[in-house]
Amino acid sequence: MRDRDHLGEFEHIVMLALLRLEDRAYGVTVRREIELRTKREVSIGAVYATLDRLESKGYVKSHHGEPTPERGGRSKRFFRITAQGLAAVHRTHGALRSMASGLGLARSHS
Amino acid sequence: MSQSRHTPRVAVLLLNLFAQGEEAASLLGDLSEESFEVAAKSGTAAARQWYWRQTLKTLAHLFACDFRNAPWSTSALLIGGFLLSRFVSSVPDRILSAMTDKYLFYWSNHFHAYMFLATDGMLISHLIAVTLVGSTIALAAKGKEMLAPTALALVLAGMAVIGSIVVTAKTADASFLWIAAVQSSNSFAMVAGAAIVRMRRRSAQAQPRPA
Repeated sequence: MRDRDHLGEFEHIVMLALLRLEDRAYGVTVRREIELRTKREVSIGAVYATLDRLESKGYVKSHHGEPTPERGGRSKRFFRITAQGLAAVHRTHGALRSMASGLGLARSHS
Repeated sequence: MSQSRHTPRVAVLLLNLFAQGEEAASLLGDLSEESFEVAAKSGTAAARQWYWRQTLKTLAHLFACDFRNAPWSTSALLIGGFLLSRFVSSVPDRILSAMTDKYLFYWSNHFHAYMFLATDGMLISHLIAVTLVGSTIALAAKGKEMLAPTALALVLAGMAVIGSIVVTAKTADASFLWIAAVQSSNSFAMVAGAAIVRMRRRSAQAQPRPA
């Protein structure tokens, strides 16, 4: 059943942010990317809670970078999408496209 | 690790207590980096305000996530903790009445000591008892030491506040609001008890194990 799982709204947004940021995706950049594009305030806790959930599902992998002084000597935790995660994004996107097709949403909001 | 002026210490302490080991380091690093930039752009006060806002939202998320990950064990700890706190809170009163009965002659000659014991002494012993309850719940919850004690502390404080407001409204006697103040301090002691266990466990995990 896991292969048929779809992403939740915020999970979907976070996954798209990871795809946009490529190898620069860590807490700060993901949060900013989402705020910039969705125009909604997002807490770093919400981002990490979602990323941890996605990692436990196998959709995302993380690794630690080097510690930096402006981070109080703490390292960055970088995230990247796995092949399984990419498939989940396509699945969710496909489902949304299919549900929206024929409704003329793009025209009515433009 | 150095803390700059725009990172509030209490907020850092709370995040350290509620977030898991590696997650805490990443969270604090990200918040430190962003608050550094907010401070450069808008000043230290704005950075501290931003940091606090992020901390409170993050704590709510951590709380909700921890509960979603272990709803049954957390509920069991909450109920167990509630029963334990009801039992433990009556212990100091029983000890005092037993001591009073047994050493009646001594207390009648040391009335001031008795009064201290019956007032401040009782408050202090209640605080110690509730701190022990918080520690006990935290000991039973491995990895999520803060969740159940904090939830229970909030429930008890909420019950006391609502109860004392209702009684005050019915009796028009504001002295009942004192109950809410006492219970709030007890709730704080419960969270402090859990925090002690959390910090002890974290420092034990941080120490290198012998080969």
